[in-house]
Amino acid sequence: MAPVLLWLILVLCLLISVVKYLMGIILKFSFPSTKARRDYMYEPSVSVLMPCYNEGKTVYETIESISKSNYPNEKFEVIAQDDCSADDSYEWMLKAQRDFTNIRIRTGRNEVNSGKARSVCNALQHSTAEIIISIDSDCIFHPDAIRELTACFAEPRMGSVGGRVGVRNPNDSVITAIQTIIYYSAFELYKIPENWTRSVCCISGCLFAIRRNLLLEIEPAIRRRNWFGIPVNQGEDRFLTHQTLLRGYGTYINNDALCWTTVPNTLSVLFKQQLRWRRSIVRDFFFTLRTLPQHVWKLHPNTVLTLVLVPLGAIVGFLVVVTALSLDPLAWAGPVPLIAALGIGAILTWVIEKYSAKEAIAHPLAFAAYVGWSLVSSLFLTPLALCTMDSADWGTRTIEQQEVPVGNNHN
Amino acid sequence: METITINPSPSETKENTPPPETVRAPVKQSLHYRLVITLYRVFAITVLYLVLAGILAYAWVMGFYAVNSSWAAPVILSAADEKSLDFRDKLVISQQTIEDLKVDTSKLQSGVAEMKKHRGALLELEPELGAAIVRERTHNRSTGPELAKLDQQKQADNAKTQKVMAQLKEVEASINKDLSAGLITKGDAATQIAALNTAEGAYTDSRIAEILLTDSVLDKTTTGTNSLDVLEKQAELRSEVAQLDVAINVAEKQLHEETRQIDRLRQAIMTAKQSPYYLNASGERTLYFAFVPYDNQANALVGAAIYDCYLNMIACRKAGTVKQIFTAEEQAVHPIFKTQIRGFLIQMNLDHADSAKSKTVFLGRKPVLF
Repeated sequence: MAPVLLWLILVLCLLISVVKYLMGIILKFSFPSTKARRDYMYEPSVSVLMPCYNEGKTVYETIESISKSNYPNEKFEVIAQDDCSADDSYEWMLKAQRDFTNIRIRTGRNEVNSGKARSVCNALQHSTAEIIISIDSDCIFHPDAIRELTACFAEPRMGSVGGRVGVRNPNDSVITAIQTIIYYSAFELYKIPENWTRSVCCISGCLFAIRRNLLLEIEPAIRRRNWFGIPVNQGEDRFLTHQTLLRGYGTYINNDALCWTTVPNTLSVLFKQQLRWRRSIVRDFFFTLRTLPQHVWKLHPNTVLTLVLVPLGAIVGFLVVVTALSLDPLAWAGPVPLIAALGIGAILTWVIEKYSAKEAIAHPLAFAAYVGWSLVSSLFLTPLALCTMDSADWGTRTIEQQEVPVGNNHN
Repeated sequence: METITINPSPSETKENTPPPETVRAPVKQSLHYRLVITLYRVFAITVLYLVLAGILAYAWVMGFYAVNSSWAAPVILSAADEKSLDFRDKLVISQQTIEDLKVDTSKLQSGVAEMKKHRGALLELEPELGAAIVRERTHNRSTGPELAKLDQQKQADNAKTQKVMAQLKEVEASINKDLSAGLITKGDAATQIAALNTAEGAYTDSRIAEILLTDSVLDKTTTGTNSLDVLEKQAELRSEVAQLDVAINVAEKQLHEETRQIDRLRQAIMTAKQSPYYLNASGERTLYFAFVPYDNQANALVGAAIYDCYLNMIACRKAGTVKQIFTAEEQAVHPIFKTQIRGFLIQMNLDHADSAKSKTVFLGRKPVLF
């Protein structure tokens, strides 16, 4: 009975994923209502909150890209919040503050290392704008990004709007090529059905816009987030999106609001990042299960299924892979997964080259390595995430010796 | 806990507002949380170490079997093993076929002998028949012309007699007249008429003899149906001999082929009796076999030691020796990688019957020195 249930869950997960990708293609080209109504005349005041930790010069480039936004300068500001970086990030913030005087930039620093979520909340304290945009300090933003995000708030029930995250370094390595394909397909296909119902389950923290009043409503919950007393500083984007939905607002990703991120180019960094994400997914899954009736009552069925089945699929996937490896250790090395990966890789590479030339991949065959990564991901990430729920660091940006609280003895 | 220092932009001099304090958990709850966290961490560390140990063990096993080639996989063949039963069925059918062929061969041999005997008899008859024909022809050649002359003479005699017989009617009439006139008595008349009838009968016999003589002359001077019958019989005799030759030839060939088939089947049965499946099906004792991949052929020698190990690789003990090697190719699934591999079977002499249930055993030497 148990194996049947496991397979059923796995098949359901795969089915939902495949259906969502296929629906994504259909909706993208056939249903105008998939796209939110945008009013470019609507120009609310905007605060761009930029929490930062050990980003170095990148933070300067990020602020520079924001300063070039096609949005009335007097209507937006940047609030950069350093979380006690061990490197010269804060100096770069100050330099950006001095150099880009065309916009209002505020810089701040936490007294102790507090994590991304609390840094956002701290920065929020200094904002008075109608729309809050939280960004990652390692991204480069398209000049129209802010305009595209705010235009979507023309829909009165729109609570949070995200942007499309592109990859700046698609050809650094096989790992970045794989991530480019995954990012592209996720934003351009997988999330389209969620867009259709205005119920995106996770808006990327790289570019996350939210109504100020809504964020203020959620902020105490963000600050209160803890795991048996240990503050939860990760996955604030997923948490914010989830909370937005539960409060009856819509969530949406505007793929015309572009930002570019540098994805991990080594396996260890990728692993850390994916582990952090998986931890957020698991944590979110537990939250969903705890409040399932509320979810069923308030959310779109597609959203509930995604919130429940995707993390459940990760757990079941682990069991299935373990079973498969013990019964037939070389099953994953067969030609079918490889051919499937190569086929998907080839098609998406062609699509990316045609529609997003900046992310064009030099070696489409690199996606074949996804077979290996999917095995690692299924086998290690979920159990590791389940066993490290007490982790509260910045993930990929953590430098071991700086994990202890840092005082405000920097400039 | 957290404080913030905001550096205002050059155009700003706004004071920072302190952030709200994070709510501290009550002491009781804090203790409860600490306990949960401690237990969780112990659990998580245990699980992670177990996972790590599992991964390392898995990697080690995979690596070990990727490199090691001295293993063999014990095979337990039950009496009801499908292949053994199938083998046994085929063996019984083969033996039955041999018996049938033997009976058939015996029949064929008898038939051939009979046909050869009959042929000999026919061949002996033919010269006698030829000699009789020659003899008869020679006789006819000498008696034929003589008979022809006698026939002509007989015909002339009969012609003369016929003229005399024409006068007998008149003699009979005068006898009747004389009787009527009372010149002679009835007795005399009867005697005279009887003499006339005798003469007529003699004439008739003479005619018959003439005709028979003519026939006889015809027989002796021309080829008659009797001669043809004899010749036909001679031809039949020859044809029968020829048919017998063909039949004997076919029967001999068939006999040869069946004898060869018997030999082949006997050979096959001899080979089959060396098969593990036959041994398994026919033996009363439990026999132990093992599949050996071709990679391990060098270690598969009769008398070679067999080691059985814990965890399929360590803490090995000598479990027995190789008793017999079966050269026929077998295919099996790799016990670890689950791929199809080729090899052969060996029979094992096991001191410890439990070793037959191990996933793998090792031939020749211990795989990791202990």
